[in-house]
Amino acid sequence: MDGDLFTLYRELKRDGIIFCFSGAISQGIVEGIGETLKQKMALEETRVSTMQKVFGIFVEQMQNISNYSAEKIESQKNESGTELRFGILTVGRDKEMFCIRCGNYIIKEDAGGLSEKLYKLRNMSKEELNIYFRERRKAAPEPGSKGAGLGFIEMARKSTRPIEFSIVEVDDVRSFFSIKVMLGED
Amino acid sequence: MEKLMIEATKSSPSICFDPKANFLEIKGESYPENSATFYKPLFAMLDLYLSSAPLRDETFEVNLEIVYFNSISSKILMNFFEALDGAAENGKKIVVNWRYHEENDTALECGEEFMEGISAVAFNLVMIDMVK
Repeated sequence: MDGDLFTLYRELKRDGIIFCFSGAISQGIVEGIGETLKQKMALEETRVSTMQKVFGIFVEQMQNISNYSAEKIESQKNESGTELRFGILTVGRDKEMFCIRCGNYIIKEDAGGLSEKLYKLRNMSKEELNIYFRERRKAAPEPGSKGAGLGFIEMARKSTRPIEFSIVEVDDVRSFFSIKVMLGED
Repeated sequence: MEKLMIEATKSSPSICFDPKANFLEIKGESYPENSATFYKPLFAMLDLYLSSAPLRDETFEVNLEIVYFNSISSKILMNFFEALDGAAENGKKIVVNWRYHEENDTALECGEEFMEGISAVAFNLVMIDMVK
């Protein structure tokens, strides 16, 4: 068992992963890891503007999991704010770029709509993404959206390269969704 | 109207709204678990303040120093500016000072983006030193 964990640790190191989190995501986790991430980048004298961008993508991805992951536990009592959703997030370095990835289960039926949305963003220029962001910000939230439905657009417009994503079928009801954002140093 | 004072947390800004002094300051990070709930008291008080006639002639000073805000907070801030701009169009004098750290390009760009959408509010971009 210990050997397996060492293998996982070495693999993460080899892939340039600075942070890896897998499990239930709460607001406390977002704040705690976010703080540490900023602290680490500050110690390495990362530029403030780059730091803010990495942190921004990190928050959007974490909150995307905690809003939309199909893997969750809910309180049996009928109280609000008593559910936890699960996913995985990694922050890594790939040569001179930061690589921020997250993944979570989604309901299989949602895969089509999600991939259509993300393909659209992939094909937009920075300018188009900025315009689209402002348009969507003014518009009423899409049905089924818990936030403002702006998270992916925000990730896409901050990303140095077009966002990459994948959706893998898992079984009859679930698929696994992951997204990758690459950020160059300013 | 009483003062509204909310203390900052790691993920939510401090809010100081003093209607008698025509002064509002929001300062810190903004990515709370539920942004709508967090900003609700601010909007409730803002509505009340902007619709109160006796304060018409005095300038409403709004200082914003938001280091980071997530996409949901961005939508809420836009609604906030729309409310201010609407009141300014009706004759209320409003000054917004968007304060950003010199190295925080993102905060500057966001300020510029909000500034574009505004017509009647006096919107200033104010650079502040990194010294804490």
